[in-house]
Amino acid sequence: MGETILQIKHLSKSFGSHAVLKDIDFSVNKGDVTCIIGASGSGKSTLLRCINLLEKPTSGEIVFHGDNILAGKIDPASYRSKVGMVFQSFNLFNNLTVLKNCMIGLTKVLKKSQAEAEQAALFYLNKVEMGPFINAKPKQLSGGQKQRVAIARALALEPEVLLFDEPTSALDPQMVGEVLTVMRNLATEGLTMIVVTHEMAFARDVSNRVVFMSDGVICEEGSPEELFNNPKNDRTVEFLSRFRQK
Amino acid sequence: MTTFPTDYLGRVFYLFENFGESFIRGAGVTLAIAVISTIIGCIIGFAVGIVQTVPTDKSENKIKWFFMCIVRFFLNAYVELFRGTPMMAQAMFIYFGAAQVFNIHMNMWQVAIFIVSINTGAYMAETVRGGILSIDLGQTEGAKAIGMTHVQLMLYVILPQAFRNIIPQIGNNLIINIKDTCVLSVIGVVELFFTTKGIAGAYYTYFESFTIALIIYFIMTFTCSKILRRIEDKLDGNDNYDLATTDTLAHTSGLYKYREKNPNTVGNLNLDTRDGGR
Repeated sequence: MGETILQIKHLSKSFGSHAVLKDIDFSVNKGDVTCIIGASGSGKSTLLRCINLLEKPTSGEIVFHGDNILAGKIDPASYRSKVGMVFQSFNLFNNLTVLKNCMIGLTKVLKKSQAEAEQAALFYLNKVEMGPFINAKPKQLSGGQKQRVAIARALALEPEVLLFDEPTSALDPQMVGEVLTVMRNLATEGLTMIVVTHEMAFARDVSNRVVFMSDGVICEEGSPEELFNNPKNDRTVEFLSRFRQK
Repeated sequence: MTTFPTDYLGRVFYLFENFGESFIRGAGVTLAIAVISTIIGCIIGFAVGIVQTVPTDKSENKIKWFFMCIVRFFLNAYVELFRGTPMMAQAMFIYFGAAQVFNIHMNMWQVAIFIVSINTGAYMAETVRGGILSIDLGQTEGAKAIGMTHVQLMLYVILPQAFRNIIPQIGNNLIINIKDTCVLSVIGVVELFFTTKGIAGAYYTYFESFTIALIIYFIMTFTCSKILRRIEDKLDGNDNYDLATTDTLAHTSGLYKYREKNPNTVGNLNLDTRDGGR
């Protein structure tokens, strides 16, 4: 087990009177691949968006390397550059080419030189096998290609943790395969990842920890073997029943 | 001087021959005021529109929130006041009013450009705000997720796209300004309408003089709209892109833009724009 990078303590989030997250506690160690599973509307994506401060948690703490980032001392922008995020809807910049999409974070946020940024962007684009498409605009790519570029864009900043918010939910089965392959490779290379997903096979085979959420609380968490073969919570059993029959 | 023609077309040509220079000079003034004011108006519009879309969170920073509320109140007041009153009345109010009450005698050009710019700005402010809101929130989140600040994401991601989306509206404003500068004749700006009125009155040839004026107005507006359409196409960029690979098998995917062409045969030129792309 590596050192603890991220600790979520008593995190709650409500939209108005609707509590989406209730007292969430969990931590992420270096090299962990944590998969968060659960039904739609159970708060998985909101949890991820809270971790990246795209949503402001109502209460609780997010401790990153010992500092509570919600205390207001740490600049959200510099924190976000260390905690990357990949979205369900890709969210590439439509006005920039594939290469520029991956370079802009390096040149504008990390203030690297053009040459350095280009080198790093090309390295990560080749890693996700999008090297040939550097001159294309996002609208000219397929969904799977866009998602791979989005992954390269996040990787280029060399984040300590990479968050995936249902990265394959908007893709057809073939494209799901190509994106999951990339993610699998990243996991074997030791990248710390938190993945919200409906791909149970991915959660079972690739992650070393699975978190099951329901109605804004963590019902059960543990190793994939424990959770998939021997779930203890009734709701986990029910949720996984269809998958386990296969 | 030749004798005054008796037929309609003859009189049109006669007037143009003798007063062509005045017409063109008037048109030049019209075009200059319209173009300069549209550019300044766009700058005002962008400034106001950008300020209107700055995110503010009351719980985060109370002073900033309060400050922004005041700024927004004044900007809204500006937009509503200038959008909601006629430009002609504003021109009279500012040009003659300032001279009468405050004894400020302004240069006619300054007043003309000021009035048209500030009105264009009022309209453009809402257009720019709409243009910014039209860019999907996902790109904002994507930019935030890689650590960009609000200023950076605006500058490099949102505004370039918003600008492209509002060019048709900028074109609209330019055309409206070319036509609407004629209301400035009430404060004595010698633009195309003022010139035409003078010539028409001198010879009592309203029909003929305004035929010329309308044709000139139309040529100016039509040319401007065509030029703006060209700029739009330019900003959209090429539909094709080149694969950055030496693997020739990749080219069969139809994405490759064929570069080889025989310089002797002009006919091949059309081919490469049609191939490839999706």
